[in-house]
Amino acid sequence: MSTNLTSDGIIAFIPIIVAATTATLGMLGIAIKRDHFWNTTLMLGGLTLALISSVWAWQYLPTEAVTDLFIVDAHAHFYMLAILIATIACIILAYPYMQSHSGNREELYLLMVLAATGGMVLVCSRHFAGLFIGLELLSIPMYGLAAYSFQRSHSLEAGIKYLLLSAVATAFLLFGMALLYAHTGQLSYAGIEQALQANNSVSTNLVWTGTSMMLVAFAFKLSLVPFHLWTPDVYEGAPAPVTAFLATASKIAVIGALLRFLYTVPALNSEYLREVLAILAGISIIGGNLLALLQTNVKRLLAFSSIAHFGYLLIALVASQQVLVATGIYISAYLLATLTTFGTIAYVSSPYQGTDIEELDRYQGLFWHSPYLATALTVALLSLAGIPLTAGFIGKFYVMFVGVNTAHWWLLGTLVIGTVIGIAYYLRIITTLYVTASSTNQIRLPIGWNHTISGAMLIIIGILVILLGAYPQPLLIIIPSTITNLG
Amino acid sequence: MYVHEPVSAGFSYLAPWIILAPLTGLTINSIFGKRNGEIFVGTVASIAVGIAFIASILLAYTVAQQQGVVQYWTLAEWIHVGTLQLSWTLRLDTLSTTMMLNVSGVGLLIHIYAIGYMHEDVRFKQAEDRFTGFFIYLNLFIAAMMLLVAGDSYLLMFIGWEGVGLASFLLIGFWFEMDTLGQPSWANSNAANKAFIVNRIGDFGFLIAGFLMFWHLGALQFDAVFAAAANAEPWVVPAITLFLLVGVAGKSSQIPLYVWLPDAMAGPTPVSALIHAATMVTAGVYLITRSAPLYALAPEAQHIVALVGAVTALFAATIAVGQYDIKKVLAYSTISQLGFMVAAVGVGAYVAGMFHLIMHAFFKALLFLSAGSVILGLERGHHQQDAHHGHSNSNSNSNNHTHDHNEHPPFDPGDMRNMGGLRTTMPITFGLYLIGALALAGIPPFAGFWSKDEILLDAQHHFYLVYWILTIAAFLTAFYMGRQIWMVFFGTARHKAAQHAQESPPIITVPLMILAALSIVGGMVNLPIEGWHTLKHWLDMTIAPIAHTVPMTHKGVTSGFNIYIAGIATILGITAIGLSWLLYGKNPLGPIDPLKKLLGSIFMGMERKWLVDELYETIFIKPYNWLAKILLGKYTDRGLINGFFDGLGSIIVLLSGLVRKTQTGQIRSYALTFVLGIVLVLSYFRC
Repeated sequence: MSTNLTSDGIIAFIPIIVAATTATLGMLGIAIKRDHFWNTTLMLGGLTLALISSVWAWQYLPTEAVTDLFIVDAHAHFYMLAILIATIACIILAYPYMQSHSGNREELYLLMVLAATGGMVLVCSRHFAGLFIGLELLSIPMYGLAAYSFQRSHSLEAGIKYLLLSAVATAFLLFGMALLYAHTGQLSYAGIEQALQANNSVSTNLVWTGTSMMLVAFAFKLSLVPFHLWTPDVYEGAPAPVTAFLATASKIAVIGALLRFLYTVPALNSEYLREVLAILAGISIIGGNLLALLQTNVKRLLAFSSIAHFGYLLIALVASQQVLVATGIYISAYLLATLTTFGTIAYVSSPYQGTDIEELDRYQGLFWHSPYLATALTVALLSLAGIPLTAGFIGKFYVMFVGVNTAHWWLLGTLVIGTVIGIAYYLRIITTLYVTASSTNQIRLPIGWNHTISGAMLIIIGILVILLGAYPQPLLIIIPSTITNLG
Repeated sequence: MYVHEPVSAGFSYLAPWIILAPLTGLTINSIFGKRNGEIFVGTVASIAVGIAFIASILLAYTVAQQQGVVQYWTLAEWIHVGTLQLSWTLRLDTLSTTMMLNVSGVGLLIHIYAIGYMHEDVRFKQAEDRFTGFFIYLNLFIAAMMLLVAGDSYLLMFIGWEGVGLASFLLIGFWFEMDTLGQPSWANSNAANKAFIVNRIGDFGFLIAGFLMFWHLGALQFDAVFAAAANAEPWVVPAITLFLLVGVAGKSSQIPLYVWLPDAMAGPTPVSALIHAATMVTAGVYLITRSAPLYALAPEAQHIVALVGAVTALFAATIAVGQYDIKKVLAYSTISQLGFMVAAVGVGAYVAGMFHLIMHAFFKALLFLSAGSVILGLERGHHQQDAHHGHSNSNSNSNNHTHDHNEHPPFDPGDMRNMGGLRTTMPITFGLYLIGALALAGIPPFAGFWSKDEILLDAQHHFYLVYWILTIAAFLTAFYMGRQIWMVFFGTARHKAAQHAQESPPIITVPLMILAALSIVGGMVNLPIEGWHTLKHWLDMTIAPIAHTVPMTHKGVTSGFNIYIAGIATILGITAIGLSWLLYGKNPLGPIDPLKKLLGSIFMGMERKWLVDELYETIFIKPYNWLAKILLGKYTDRGLINGFFDGLGSIIVLLSGLVRKTQTGQIRSYALTFVLGIVLVLSYFRC
């Protein structure tokens, strides 16, 4: 089956084309003249254009695959939108952060745009080649990003750790693909599905080994226990805006690709696989929450909590009922809350020349001198904890809903235990924000901070978290409409 | 799920504004209120309610144009999960628009009155900065009440139900750090808590009813519930109706949950008039009327409703006879009148119940507000006399709280034993109060006569026992109102404050005159003469389609007029007033109540409210406190439960510490774990 690129296909591809062009222009812009403001504006503008074009192209969805490698359907658009929103937010947050950076600043944005392009490619791919290209295009800029403040040894360490372990994961991914190819002779998802159905050989050792190896690579990127060990070190070491990017755009792209892979090749989505996913989900929830409980470093704490969050999300995949709706809603809530939490860290760290404010002590009494920011952060943390009237509650409600419907009781039990432990450490951060500061060590924000774009953005996202929690109807309308036949 | 096509014609699009207007008002006031002063705040709040009132009129007009066909207006979809479909839909029919008119109309008058009342009240209490807060709460109340009466499902109704409960709590405890005399105390705060907690019991009943509907009828939207109720299992509908009755008993203060309403008079007088007489407490009557199709399927439940109402009417009336506080008398009278309404809807006389509800809103609001005017008059007199008698000015103002308390018992401007002879010092208020009292006593041709007569007629037709109980209650009503009139306005002043009492300004008296006019001619909306049953025709558009399924229907009898029943009621009323004159009006009053000499310990019972509060204290509160103390003790909460959770916490912390050891930071151990992980995943297949 070979498909030529039609004009419809080009229209559907426009967001990716725009993003890629943005990266090229950004590179040229830096080559012509280094100017922090103009280069950032250029790339931000490009991504915004890509965002608009994605919304616009949504209505011209091609009915067939765009090329052999890619398909741009509603699912792809939804995840591309999420990636673009995350990237734009991270760039806005990075701008004040990079102001005090001593080295070259502009390449950070370039790397983010490249990674975002990779993520967009990833969620569109329907072929192992596309999957691999996308994943690498997403990952390789991440190494550079993590090590961007290389003057700090932590940052450099983070970059190298991520690089080495990522290479291991990629090796497993390639090996898994090779095994599946060896068995089916196909590289496209549809082809694999056909071949597996034809000779009815799903449960052979070869297929299972191939699938598990690919799954492990995905589990690494999503930092599920026991493939999570890199997460806290990299989250802590990377500059805060990069951490925000890693926690949102990167993970959202991977989950989008995983969903497409599993639901385009249903033959692989076997009972065994779901049992393995269930175990991964369970130990990620418990492990992530336990690890977070005693943390005093906010970045590490949030890293561990993100492990738990992808555990919760996997419950929907295990339940395999209304998966795309449940994950879509959960992802939206997670995106907003995570952007606010890491965004706050990035924002308050901006004046400190690359040293991130990550010890919990430093946030003591934040409410008393920056009430709006502290309130936004509180709302985001409550959302992560899954408190009603926040978007996080809606996401967790959906996951529970599908879990109850498919009677995965022990998994729901871990969800409840995990949530209880989660509330304990989220509340610990929240109470810290409201006690009157005792140390002279506490952070100070410049006056008028909330008139800057980054500050205003954090508050707007905080408001969105509440708004979508109280009135989730927009999400509940948009997300089910992204469900198509993922093939 | 029952799906209805949203119908909306004429002015239906104005429906959201009945809620949005007061919400806008409170938003404006909470942002700009403090800076702009009292006139601004009062005007904004009143205009907001005025807009809601105008919208209500236009909505009622639209419903009339559509011949009573129900109009639905969906503001927004809320949540749509599985079969549960919730939306913010407002329902416009003759019943809901009648309630809207009642709430916003009386509400508007009381808002205007409150501008004048609170202006003085905040100054007597030395807290001028609270003026804004009062109007914010008042607008909040109107918004919640509008949602309650206009919501198209039991869920929206419940949200409004809780909203008015919240507003009521905030307003009862408005002067939370003092008692009704302005002395430092937690009395008002306790009254607010009592109202809130007792209402929780009622709300619990409502919630259970809601859950039953959801599980057994699969719906919360009115039409869907009623449609499903016909095919439900036989126990479901009686259970739902009885649990709803618990909710009604809480909100409309019926036996056994009425105890909060008398204490609720701790709130400022406009609050007593608006929330605890005219509108919120009638929500229960509205709930039963709205649920008529359910009650039609459960005749036993209907009997219980009628009996609860009738017994409450009589019981509260006996207590009202023995009270000395001008507002307490009115509070018990309100409970009694609510009993009349509940009894009416209990015997299936929905129109009569609603008729009495509206008339009661007029004359009881009038009475409460006039009582407020009396209290303010006495306070003015007291202050003037204070100044006159050489108390230093600063003393009577700033140190009032502590000083009075130590030297002599504080002056209570609400105690009728301090009044007397006010008809000369406050003639306008006297006239207005008299009109309200005659309307309440059911003397023709005032409004209360017609509505009460209709209830008695229906009761006599359907439930003889209830008829007799209500007749006795009506007799007592006339008696205690007569007693109040003689004690307050006739005779000679029994306290210097009453001697120096001053008439209230027009901003207070003008709204009262409007209410008085309505109390006189209000009965016109439903005269028992052919061609004059306007209200019945109007409400029947909504109620009649369901009323034919009601076992105890009012088969045309409500439109009749039984000269015997009207005659007996009128004669009893006049006799009661005469009797009260013999006891209270003929001779100057001594320190001991004349009725006490006559009835002895029975009067003591009335005066002490039949010791119901003390009974509840012994049965519920003391054991509860005892249990709480035990549970908090060394061996239970602090020992067993705390120990258990502390232990659990330590285990988790311990685990957490162990798991953290895996984060070595060594890349080789990370890679090793990675490989171990994949070995485990691969081996899972062959397990």
